[in-house]
Amino acid sequence: MDRSHLIAASFLIVSGALRAEERLSFNRDIRPIMSDKCFSCHGLDAKHRKGELRLDTPEGAYGKAESGKVAIVPGKIAESELLKRINLAADDDDVMPPVKSHKTLSAAEKATIQKWIEQGASYQKHWAFETPVKAEIPTLPPGIPVRQPMDAFLFQKLQKEGLTPQPETDKESLLRRVTLTLTGFPPTIAEIDAYLADAAPDAYEKAVDRLLASPAYGEQMARPWLDVARYGDTHGLHLDNERSMWLYRDWVVGAFNRNLPFNQFTVEQIAGDMLPNPTPDQLVATGFNRCNVSTSEGGAINEEWIFRYAVDRTTTTVQTWMGLTAGCAVCHDHKFDPLTQKEFYSLYAFFNSTADPAMDGNALVSGPTVQVRTPEQEQKASELDKQRAEAEKRLTEAAAKVVYTDPATIVPPPPVQEQETVLIEDSYPVGAQVKRNSGGEPTWINKADGPVARGERSVKISSAAGVNQDFYDTGAAPFEVPVNARFSLSVYLDPAAPPKAIMLQCNREGWAHRAMWGDPAAIPGWGAPNTGERFIAGPSPEAGKWVRLEVPAEKLGLNAGDKLKGLAFTLDTGTAYFDKLCFLSIGDDAHNPAKSLTAWLQAGEGKDTPGLPPEINAALKAKSDARQPSQLQQLKDYYLARVCSLTQPALGPITAEVEKFKNERAALEASAPVTFTMKDMDKDRESFVMIRGAYDKPGEKVTRNVPAVFPALPQKEKLTRLDLAQWLVSDTHPLTARVAVNRFWQQCFGVGLVKTSGDFGSQGQPPSHPELLDFLAVTFRESGWDVKKLMRTFVTSAAFRQSSAASPELWKRDPENRLLARGPRLRLDAEVVRDNALFVSGLLDRTMGGRGVRPYQPPNIWEPVAYIDSNTAKYKADEGSALYRRSLYTFLKRTAPPPFMANFDGPSREQSCTVRERSNTPMQALQLMNDVQHVEAARALAQRAMTEGGDTPESRITFTYRTVLSRAPKAEEMPIIRAAFDEHLAAYQKAPAEAAKFIRQGASAPKAGLPEPELAAWTLIANLVLNLDETINRN
Amino acid sequence: MDPIFQHQLLQTRRQFFGHTGLRLGGLALANLMGTTSQAATGTRIQPTLPGFPHFKPKAKALIYVHMSGGPSQLDLWDYKPDLQKYYDQELPKSVRGDQRITTMTSGQSKLAVAPSLFKFAQHGQCGRWVSELLPHTAKVVDDIALIKTVNTTAINHDPACTFVMTGSEIPGRASLGSWLSYGLGSESNDLPAFVCLTPRYPLSSNGQALFSRMWNSGFLPTGHTGVVLRGAGDPVLYLQNPDGLATTERRTMLDALGKLNQQGFNRLGDPEIQTRISQYEMAFRMQSSVPELVDVSKESPATLELYGAEVIKSGSFAHNALMARRLVERGVRVVQIMHRGWDQHGTLPRDIRNQCMDTDQGVGALIQDLKLRGMLNDTLVIWGGEFGRTVYSQGGLSATDYGRDHHPRNFCMWMAGGGVKGGLSIGETDDYSYNIVDAPVPLFDLNATILHCMGIDHEKFTYPSQGLDMRLTGVEPAKVLKQILA
Repeated sequence: MDRSHLIAASFLIVSGALRAEERLSFNRDIRPIMSDKCFSCHGLDAKHRKGELRLDTPEGAYGKAESGKVAIVPGKIAESELLKRINLAADDDDVMPPVKSHKTLSAAEKATIQKWIEQGASYQKHWAFETPVKAEIPTLPPGIPVRQPMDAFLFQKLQKEGLTPQPETDKESLLRRVTLTLTGFPPTIAEIDAYLADAAPDAYEKAVDRLLASPAYGEQMARPWLDVARYGDTHGLHLDNERSMWLYRDWVVGAFNRNLPFNQFTVEQIAGDMLPNPTPDQLVATGFNRCNVSTSEGGAINEEWIFRYAVDRTTTTVQTWMGLTAGCAVCHDHKFDPLTQKEFYSLYAFFNSTADPAMDGNALVSGPTVQVRTPEQEQKASELDKQRAEAEKRLTEAAAKVVYTDPATIVPPPPVQEQETVLIEDSYPVGAQVKRNSGGEPTWINKADGPVARGERSVKISSAAGVNQDFYDTGAAPFEVPVNARFSLSVYLDPAAPPKAIMLQCNREGWAHRAMWGDPAAIPGWGAPNTGERFIAGPSPEAGKWVRLEVPAEKLGLNAGDKLKGLAFTLDTGTAYFDKLCFLSIGDDAHNPAKSLTAWLQAGEGKDTPGLPPEINAALKAKSDARQPSQLQQLKDYYLARVCSLTQPALGPITAEVEKFKNERAALEASAPVTFTMKDMDKDRESFVMIRGAYDKPGEKVTRNVPAVFPALPQKEKLTRLDLAQWLVSDTHPLTARVAVNRFWQQCFGVGLVKTSGDFGSQGQPPSHPELLDFLAVTFRESGWDVKKLMRTFVTSAAFRQSSAASPELWKRDPENRLLARGPRLRLDAEVVRDNALFVSGLLDRTMGGRGVRPYQPPNIWEPVAYIDSNTAKYKADEGSALYRRSLYTFLKRTAPPPFMANFDGPSREQSCTVRERSNTPMQALQLMNDVQHVEAARALAQRAMTEGGDTPESRITFTYRTVLSRAPKAEEMPIIRAAFDEHLAAYQKAPAEAAKFIRQGASAPKAGLPEPELAAWTLIANLVLNLDETINRN
Repeated sequence: MDPIFQHQLLQTRRQFFGHTGLRLGGLALANLMGTTSQAATGTRIQPTLPGFPHFKPKAKALIYVHMSGGPSQLDLWDYKPDLQKYYDQELPKSVRGDQRITTMTSGQSKLAVAPSLFKFAQHGQCGRWVSELLPHTAKVVDDIALIKTVNTTAINHDPACTFVMTGSEIPGRASLGSWLSYGLGSESNDLPAFVCLTPRYPLSSNGQALFSRMWNSGFLPTGHTGVVLRGAGDPVLYLQNPDGLATTERRTMLDALGKLNQQGFNRLGDPEIQTRISQYEMAFRMQSSVPELVDVSKESPATLELYGAEVIKSGSFAHNALMARRLVERGVRVVQIMHRGWDQHGTLPRDIRNQCMDTDQGVGALIQDLKLRGMLNDTLVIWGGEFGRTVYSQGGLSATDYGRDHHPRNFCMWMAGGGVKGGLSIGETDDYSYNIVDAPVPLFDLNATILHCMGIDHEKFTYPSQGLDMRLTGVEPAKVLKQILA
């Protein structure tokens, strides 16, 4: 907005201010002038105050200034120095405002000031800092259609201006207007027909209630809030990597849909983490103040960024709820509003102890965070829990039935003899999470398909060049190395591609135990040669036959009793088959914990055994004479099911099932979405006034507090964000309800009652209807901060229901419609322009929520700007239905926002935005004409017209109009469209190849069976209708 | 409706919305062959603000060449022959002082001095020392005023880039080009006041990020955002008709659209509908005029040769340099050329050579070309990055290789053309190019000087936002560099 606009608007509001009989008001008439022209030197800011004169308080103005003179003597024009000084010649050294300030007072402004002094120069506190009081509802003469109390305020003012409201608009326009306002979609033909057919006096109210109950309402309400909250899907600075924050976006949608009272909505976002036993949902809500941009740029200095984040959170919170611009108080006292620098830093102290790091690590999630399962994941988790419980039950039952004789109980004891302990045979160990370097699953070869040495199958590993391997180091129970053990491994080298070398690797506490057969230079760099890390066990075995290899465990640096948590089969360039890996050892079954329960119990007594569940470990650790019988049974069941090698053939498969469900459950946990939350550190950071806003120049120490002009906080030892949040929504707070009501008003009527919806301070504009604003604010608070009720009030008012057509005189007199002498007519927001096209075409996917999606985007939007290593450097559109989701769910990269948004004035979300512009540009025309999203939507709409719109061109045109504009074409419109269609059809019939190309835009295929030239012609007609000014406006 | 009244009504509406209408992104290039189509009627669609310019400007247009990443002043402009003596020695504590350095090198055990590997020679009548890396720029040094002592407050790319272009390290302010668009409008009714030329995706160099906020209007009306002429894809977004849609059919569709919209206006009276009708007509004209604008093949062979072989490749620096001249020639107020890849923390000698190969000829050609056409007198050209680089090596230092960290305390930028004394050098740094010893030039002063050349008193150029009268040049007093003015 430029200056002429400001002045024009305020003139509109205060017109007639100088009529002789009228008493001037300081807030309405004087403050705007003085705030702009005087307060920067004669206001609150003591440091920059000139001549020891302060004009923003009566004490200052009536008292003696440095010069000894008095600026204002109430009622005395001649004695008031101020009047003398402002009336000096423009180039006089003493003129006020001074020449070098580049500010001047107009003759009208000087006259107003003089009149005010004449009338006694009485001061008022700035209007926005006074507690709002509900004014009496004006009574109007009969005949003026008042549907809500708000109409009475509006129409009384209209009367004073000599204007009358417009009649109610037609039903079709009204339904489209309200449906777009409340849901961001147009009504369907069925909805229009139902509404037209409903003759009940409350038909409109019923439609409104239907819309307020629709899930799309929450999405539509969330958009402006997300502008304020500066929500984005990237960190916003430097690398601008993806950030996982969308649970917060979805929380906002849900909060509006369940009509969370605005006071709770406030408290949960500012301090949900400080509520007693906060729910995950309340933690998600605190994402509001984690939406600020953050960095992890190399070389950045932590303290600087900690400071900036706290400043951003403070200014955004103050602007969002109090409608005040606090940013300038970062460096100095606010020049215009009663906010000193110290007061700013006292507010900042509430946000200066948050636990998030200075550097976000360019990571998807940066703490503190909360993880929340989606409903689908919730369901899957309970299914897995159930399956696992069933498998465990079967395991216990099977363990009870299994035949097992403890070798230690056999008399005489079994002979000591060579034994084998199988490590890998026909499958990797139970639970092992096996990975293959080249990706994918291990390749098991059955006897019928290739060489197998033992059992049923072998595992095949190949590499065209370099190293490949199967390995695991998690998931399986560890193997204990027996006394005097040798590894035994069968291998078959493919004669067509014999590997340079093969290798066996073991992971004890890391991968540091290897045996290799073949070229000693192969598999380079893994382990120090001639140590257990890289033991050369021999040459490559002969290819084309099975060879069993043996190597003593000690050569790999392994000792008896070592626990192996991982194994790997490795090769370098070639193909080999691996089969049956086992330990060979001189075994003593009666003393082998893998075979004897008694031996296992003795081995575990008195110490922790890693890898056991806590209760099993505790039972095993207990002294044998202290174990309960139930514990012993538990240990035995566990041993047979999971440890004992003798019972594994019988129980192993069931154990594997249990493990599988456990692993799937763990994977599910890991994949549940995470979002950023607020949390304070255990110990608060100290806060200081930062001299001139420099992060490294702390001055006076401050404690948490609110500015003195507002009601005080409760007396408490320690004040927190929760106290601040509750203070904002307290009954006595002058701003919160006003600011909120004004923003919701702006959503319905285009311009707020206070036009500067982000600035209620003295530099902002005064309200066009002060009594109405206060009436609405108090009513809103008294309703229990009921947002749906407020929106219902707005859209059921007579003001909202007026026709938006107006006489040239009225357009000229009130181009912004501040007086509401006609209905609101507003260009649709960027997202709604796109959503509307998707909706009417039937392409829209109504899935709600989830990670941001990537619809079509022209090439070269991210690429020219993004950091080369950023994970948002290259744009790749999604496939399938993700292309057609509501624009609310479009992935928003903040340093290069989606062009369909930026082109229609969508903000970059790098900082809070309280009001969007509505520009009107040729770039917008090009987008609507040519963007693949709109061309594809036109084709899909054309298909609907051809299949649902009857058989004549006229009936199809009518269908298209009703679908898009909620009305039939007018008599004068039909021939224009019909003629265009005929031309297009003739052209495409002559050029069917062009038609074929034109109808194949976008990912979805044209509907089969429709004649292509005709479909092309209808597509262009749909493109025409989607480009109408009426289409991209709510009229 | 009475046509005269209708016209008045539209005017009112325009004025009310800050001349919304055609100015917003107005990029319609009707008759573009060489001249501005500033209406013979005298009506400018993108007028200057009342009272602007404040005084007679020296420059009508600005071309700002932004070298993103922080070009090394030590290897290009700030000649320090004595540094060879200090090769691999620790930067003296007395020089470094207690200044903060980035956390990329603050942990380094040694801050070893790395003299430039490149040879410098004196050029032009002014005898300016210029690095061998810039042979073409060296030919035009007599037209250039070098500033060796520009300094910034930021030490990292994101805040520094944001600061150099918007006067604040924090996102949300208006960019320099947007300010000039807002204050001075455009000479052309067919082109926007502010055009930004973005580069291709950097394949070989390290691609430090750019940020669309560097050409964003911030708190100013959105129409002052720089219109991006793109190096790949449609030069202007959504310019081309879809496949299978002939221009004749588009025209038929737009004729019907115009009639239907006009009927809508007759019913409702909203002047925005009239504006939209004009915007569609402009969009249609752009569909043929933009491709002509970006087609440089009809330039004379001599001109093409001046810019080098790369000039025909859309998105190359040479192409963008030539485009800058073509745009200014047609009345565009501000052209911003973005170039990436100057962030040489390691292997600086190799990488800076590539960067200079990429840009030097284009820069030299642009100055010469403007001069040949008599345009340099009223076109101001700025060259520079967001900060400079350290004298000490980041990482290993050898006889043939070194890297340099960010250095905000002094770096080199230059100005040429409209209103600027050529052949001048301003400011001096110490023996290490680490501290300023004479005539520091904060970025605010540089921006104040740019505005001055364009006829604007920076103190009087404000916009109300966030309760403040925002200025490009910050809160504290900034000063115009009088000594640089011709």
